[in-house]
Amino acid sequence: MKTNELHPPQWANRLLRWLHPEDTLEEVEGDLEELYAYWHERAGKRQATWRYLLNVASVLPPFVRRRERKQAYNNPFLIQPSMLRNYFTIAFRTLAHNKVYSSINVIGLSIGLAAAMLIMLYTKDEVSFDRFHANNPHIYRITSKQFTPAGVFQSYNTHTGYLQGPKFAAGVPEIKMSVRYQSDRSDIKVGTEVKSFESFHADSSFFALFSFPLISGNPATALKEPKSVVLSEEMAEKQFGTTNALGKILLVRNSNGDSKEFEPYTVTGIAKKCPQNSSIKFDFLFPYVVSKEDMANGGNWFNFFQNTFVVLQPNANLKKVEATMNRVFQKDAKQALEEEVKRFGPQSKTEYMLQAFTDMHLNKDMPAQNGLVDGSNPMFSYILSGIALFILLIACINFVNLTVARSLKRAKEIGVRKVVGGGRGQLMMQFLGESFILCFLAFGFALLLVQMVLPTFNELSNKALAFSYLFDAQLVAGYIALFLATGLLAGFYPALVLSNYNPVQTLYSRFNLSGKNYLQKGLVVLQFALASFLIIATLTIYSQFNYLTNKDLGYNDKGVITVGKSGLNRNETKVFKDELLKNQNIQEVAPKNGGNWYTIAKVNGQTEINFAYETVDATYFSLLQIPIIKGRNFSAEFNSDSTSSVLVNESFVKKAGWTNPLGQVVDFWYNEGEKYKVIGVIKDYHFESLNSEIKPQLFTMKPGNQYGKVFIKIKEGSETASLNHLAKTYKKLFPTNPYEYKFMDEENEKRYESEAKWKQIMLFGAILTIFISCIGLFGLATLSAERRTKEIGIRKVLGASVASITTLLSADFLKLVSLSFVFAFPVAYYAIKQWLENYPYRIDISVWTFVIAAALSILIAFFTVSFQSIKAALGNPVKSLKSE
Amino acid sequence: MRRTYLGEFEEVVLLMVAILDGEAYGVTVSQALEEHTGRVVTFGTVHNTLIRLEEKGFVGSELGGATNERGGRRKRLFHVTALGNRALQEIQQLRQQLWQLLPPTKLQLNSL
Repeated sequence: MKTNELHPPQWANRLLRWLHPEDTLEEVEGDLEELYAYWHERAGKRQATWRYLLNVASVLPPFVRRRERKQAYNNPFLIQPSMLRNYFTIAFRTLAHNKVYSSINVIGLSIGLAAAMLIMLYTKDEVSFDRFHANNPHIYRITSKQFTPAGVFQSYNTHTGYLQGPKFAAGVPEIKMSVRYQSDRSDIKVGTEVKSFESFHADSSFFALFSFPLISGNPATALKEPKSVVLSEEMAEKQFGTTNALGKILLVRNSNGDSKEFEPYTVTGIAKKCPQNSSIKFDFLFPYVVSKEDMANGGNWFNFFQNTFVVLQPNANLKKVEATMNRVFQKDAKQALEEEVKRFGPQSKTEYMLQAFTDMHLNKDMPAQNGLVDGSNPMFSYILSGIALFILLIACINFVNLTVARSLKRAKEIGVRKVVGGGRGQLMMQFLGESFILCFLAFGFALLLVQMVLPTFNELSNKALAFSYLFDAQLVAGYIALFLATGLLAGFYPALVLSNYNPVQTLYSRFNLSGKNYLQKGLVVLQFALASFLIIATLTIYSQFNYLTNKDLGYNDKGVITVGKSGLNRNETKVFKDELLKNQNIQEVAPKNGGNWYTIAKVNGQTEINFAYETVDATYFSLLQIPIIKGRNFSAEFNSDSTSSVLVNESFVKKAGWTNPLGQVVDFWYNEGEKYKVIGVIKDYHFESLNSEIKPQLFTMKPGNQYGKVFIKIKEGSETASLNHLAKTYKKLFPTNPYEYKFMDEENEKRYESEAKWKQIMLFGAILTIFISCIGLFGLATLSAERRTKEIGIRKVLGASVASITTLLSADFLKLVSLSFVFAFPVAYYAIKQWLENYPYRIDISVWTFVIAAALSILIAFFTVSFQSIKAALGNPVKSLKSE
Repeated sequence: MRRTYLGEFEEVVLLMVAILDGEAYGVTVSQALEEHTGRVVTFGTVHNTLIRLEEKGFVGSELGGATNERGGRRKRLFHVTALGNRALQEIQQLRQQLWQLLPPTKLQLNSL
């Protein structure tokens, strides 16, 4: 018999070697080979191979039993009650002994944790926006994309009109129902007093589509009758003094209604307060009323002014629904489209889409607007999270640094523990445990802190978060995760390092920890890089904000009051003006159209140009002190001015490409024969906020356009008298209109609210970061000074001055802080450059920002460190040298 | 003293180890099992049983010297420990007592 015939299959053998436990492999392999030879002899090769494979399989996992390893010595169970007690005792003793160190860690960590908690609360709220509706995720908003006639993408449109909702709901089987939701203003009359409120109109399916519970009233019929209204809890309380207001009558005048009279509306429902995380927030909800003519007019396909929502069948295919919608549109609007083309020339194309309802809140291209509130920029969440993470990270760095630096004092303890048999695992557990105890304390403080600063935070972040929001299963889980992560992050490295000490070294010789310490140095550099980054960001935001609020707007808004009055005709204007000017405190009065109008016209025969369309009178420019740089103002001497002349601004001239603007013609070609001659050019002024560029602007006195508000210039210091006169005159002339006045300069400031908030948030962030970095540095300086007491003593004995010792001790840290700039500055430069790009009118990035930031960081670091350094340098050398 | 439970197959294997008297290892135990009881079991079963018996303290083991057979791989030789010995004897005794309690007629009936 050949020997090789006796060999079992090699692959099975390899499998055995690979999978069988190592400690019994040798004998099992041998036994199986011997058995193979035995079977081979008795039953032949084929049988033997089969049996061999079967038996190999029987000793592979999971069938195999592992041999119990013989233990060299008995390992005590890691968690012994008495040992645990000892850990706690030692932990509290060390914490109590090192009050500075403990408080630095606890304060730093609790600030970091509080910041992280607030941000979690914030982001939780952001992502939960609009998710409470039972019909989610099948609620969509009808939106559209606009393309130029050539087919180039132009813009997104979130608005819709009368037709889209009902037509699509009728034409697309997958759409279950639709709701049109339009914002409006309503005047409410109580007794003789008239007040104006924001209100909404919605189709009767509103309460079926959205989950807004009613306290009283029938959700199915509440919006059926045209003269009914649903109030919010709060508003019912305000209007009637009770939430039990069902069936009561409210005198209302809607701004889009035809009648000028107040009409009685019946309260048909009281709704619970809309949740804080809802894009739809209403106090007054009226039924949606559209005339038959409007619904029949195909031209209304091109009127966009409101939001329309739909609910799809759960299994609907979104792409298919959108395609069907566009088919419905093309078919239904065919005639209207052709008419439009005939009248205005080639039209931009519209492609309808659906946007998930829950996507609106954080969408930048298709935001929640036009009656939908609290649309938010995801950038805000990112930056807030970034800052919170910075702060938490810095606090953890402090912890790591201080614990490792302080371990010199505990080196003996670790040595003794090891000598009497403490394993590495036990030591690690001890140190991790200590970090968790600290973390737990910090966590408690953090909760207190959160409760304290929540009101301020709400104001900054534009939210109404309550402390009770914290007790949410997800958030609690998040916080526990945060707690564990922080404890681990802060405690893991020290535990690893400390448990690694060699007991002989720590006990026998002088243990030397003053190695290179790259980690500690690196962490300090990182801390200060973050801190100086935030300082630079704060400085930049401050100067940009100052620039925005102090920049010359091109007109004088001091002492200018605006009063709104919708549908102000020429006669009313004249009477109002005359009445006002009777008081000598009032210098000038100028009417203007309400709101912002934009339109389109042709210049140079062909070119279409978009511009702001302002209806004013001759006094407007003098009142706001806007200089006319070419030509002349409107004038009573020229009768034709009101019908055939316009003024334009410089941007308009530039856009039109005119070298000699006077006498040029602006053609409103869609209105037959409506052409105007340019008689003057005014200097550009910022009629919008500085966040947008100055657009072309055209001023007309066209009699057909109604005015909507009045500018009133008053004498300086006569605010009370003037306002008094103004209020009296207004109430006399327009008793049924709500009276509300605004100071123009205050309004202009309000435009920069979001910048103001950024400013505050950055300031808080920077201060906290610097503060935590500094207490960390303070702790390090303390330990470093303690460690070098002997050295300092000897230096002093040999004649070193206090100044030289202070420098010696501080220099190390200041070098690190300076090094941090190398990393922080390029990143900061890039970041602020990106941020400033958002503003068409912005400051230049100045070298001084960086110089100031650097000086500030160094100065703060120096003060922090020098406190300890000087204290150490002033110490009596006898004391430090005598003690051993 | 708490008695460690000994399963039927464990008992047979333990007996085999005793019978083989110093020559017991995986192969001989399997072969003896097949020869004396006619039971064909996989090698893994025998292997695991031997390990279990060792864990329970009924057998001890050591690796034998290297030989030229089986590619020079050592054998793990098993022997019965004092505890194993006593366990076997106790089982034997218990069985005997029980047999004596059995009525003779019953036994005859059963054997028929």
